[in-house]
Amino acid sequence: MSSVLIKNESRLGLKLVAPAVGIIGLLVIYPILFNIYLSFFDVQLNGTKTFVGMENYTDLLGNPRYYHSIGVSVIYLIGTVAGTTILGLAAAILMNQEFRFRNLARGLILLPYFAPVISVVFGWQFIFDPVNGIYNHVVVDVLHLTDTRENLIGNPDSALFVVIIFDIWKHFPIAYLLFLAKLQSVPKDLYEAAAIDGQNAWGRFWHVTLPELRFVIATVVLLRIIWNLNRFEDVYLLAPNVETLPIFTYYQAFAGIVDQGVAAAISVIQLLVLVGLIWLYVRKVLKW
Amino acid sequence: MMNKRSTTQSVILYALVLALVIFCVFPFLQILSTSLKHPIDWGNPSLIPRVLHLDAYKELLGLMPAKEADIPASVQRLLSNPALSEDQKQKLLAKFSSGGEVFPFGRYMLNTFVISFITGICSTFLASLAAYAIARLRFPAQSLMANGVLFVYMVGGVLLMVPLYQMSVNVGLASSAAGTIFSLFLIYLIQTLPVAMYMLGNYFRTIPFSLEEAAMMDGCSRVEAFWRIIMPLSKPMLFTVFIYCFVIAWNEYLFASVFLKQYQDFQTLPLALQTLFTSKNAIWDRIMAASMLTLLPVVICFMLANKHLSGGLTDGGVKG
Repeated sequence: MSSVLIKNESRLGLKLVAPAVGIIGLLVIYPILFNIYLSFFDVQLNGTKTFVGMENYTDLLGNPRYYHSIGVSVIYLIGTVAGTTILGLAAAILMNQEFRFRNLARGLILLPYFAPVISVVFGWQFIFDPVNGIYNHVVVDVLHLTDTRENLIGNPDSALFVVIIFDIWKHFPIAYLLFLAKLQSVPKDLYEAAAIDGQNAWGRFWHVTLPELRFVIATVVLLRIIWNLNRFEDVYLLAPNVETLPIFTYYQAFAGIVDQGVAAAISVIQLLVLVGLIWLYVRKVLKW
Repeated sequence: MMNKRSTTQSVILYALVLALVIFCVFPFLQILSTSLKHPIDWGNPSLIPRVLHLDAYKELLGLMPAKEADIPASVQRLLSNPALSEDQKQKLLAKFSSGGEVFPFGRYMLNTFVISFITGICSTFLASLAAYAIARLRFPAQSLMANGVLFVYMVGGVLLMVPLYQMSVNVGLASSAAGTIFSLFLIYLIQTLPVAMYMLGNYFRTIPFSLEEAAMMDGCSRVEAFWRIIMPLSKPMLFTVFIYCFVIAWNEYLFASVFLKQYQDFQTLPLALQTLFTSKNAIWDRIMAASMLTLLPVVICFMLANKHLSGGLTDGGVKG
């Protein structure tokens, strides 16, 4: 190719990416930097700023609510990441078998992932509703496990577990899709060879399926941590009393005594963690 | 693995599949069932309503005449008193009818539809240009941009809500309804652009380069080849990406709540539903009917796009 053609091509390339990259630069990269700047100010909703130096950070690090929300986030992350990965893997193995109505079943189990959060949270709230919900009906009236109807979502401690189960329900389908895609590409003769070696179903899973899937599993785990670290809507809309880190940030920034500078400081710290995780993802998982 | 299964194995397999499907579908059945139940029937654990009760849907869709306000008998007597001036009567009436206000569901649905549709179109269009350049052309900083997109796509909205809000305040957009909606549109654009670029870039790479080459030999320019060869060939994927972006905007709550709180007329469904839920008690049938009506367009969209979507999502290791 002549140099004129190369030049034309690169000019066209830049022209085509310019709008998208420009918008992303202006509304993602710049805000990230602006956020760091804001974290050194006392910031009001109407935009007034007063320089306070490191005060937002020292306030934050002395605030027990901050540590509490980190603790809640850690439990939330462990529960949801383990849950989605295990259920996703189990579902993928199940749906990889041949049976009647398989396509219908494969379609139906994607529903939770596609459905709008705002709609399904009400269904879940109704299930756990202390007066009308099926959960209390089963636990109290059918199984007689306890005598009193409990408001699981009203109490932050039990609500955390409802939120975790909800998140698993909502997001295991994406893990399932990733696992299923990989499972379908595992060569059949590996299983046949293992069967000839006398491996039973469990042995085949342990010695063939798991090693073949290990990169996908790493991908799923890391991606779930990254997404769930920032997850806001699923938690806030189902149980606003479960204070994970993003919800704590939201309350600081937009509810009660507004302190957007502190919220900015939380975001800066969280971003550092996130960048570390993304770096790990790009280095270790994408480039295998 | 492919051996014939024994009967026991078959039973276990079907039982597991059934359990999984029920787990996934039950909350949807619960929503549908409650939306069709009469209030006295809510405590009934069965999913099948004793009596079919469509009032909630009728009310949301505006098919029901506005309910007569419940006016206590004592007040009615007062109203029929001829000594009372017309003005005073109106004031009295207003006090009682304000409780029976209708939830303007259609308006919220239209708001949500308009902003989601525009987001979907703009995002798909801009992403297709950028994705083509990244997939096919050579230019400076190409791989930096390709990786940058991946990075940006993992930075969640929560981390950007404060600076984006402050930016729109500083620029003056947050002080008017039009400016607020424009800010929100831009935010939805950046929430959808990275994933749209990623999905389209992967798809463009699967189209053989020889097709464009042939077109260019016939005298097409690069841009013409893109428009006439690549875009028509990518129609199913473009549609899928549009649906995906549309649904992201349709479902978005966080930024809608931050920006639209004081502009009630322009709220989107997620925000309006949340407000409806927290502001009034014991209206499960209306909440569930509204959920059902919010859910339906999305489920239909995904059924239309499902074929390509599953592949596109797994290739991109997509957000979720």
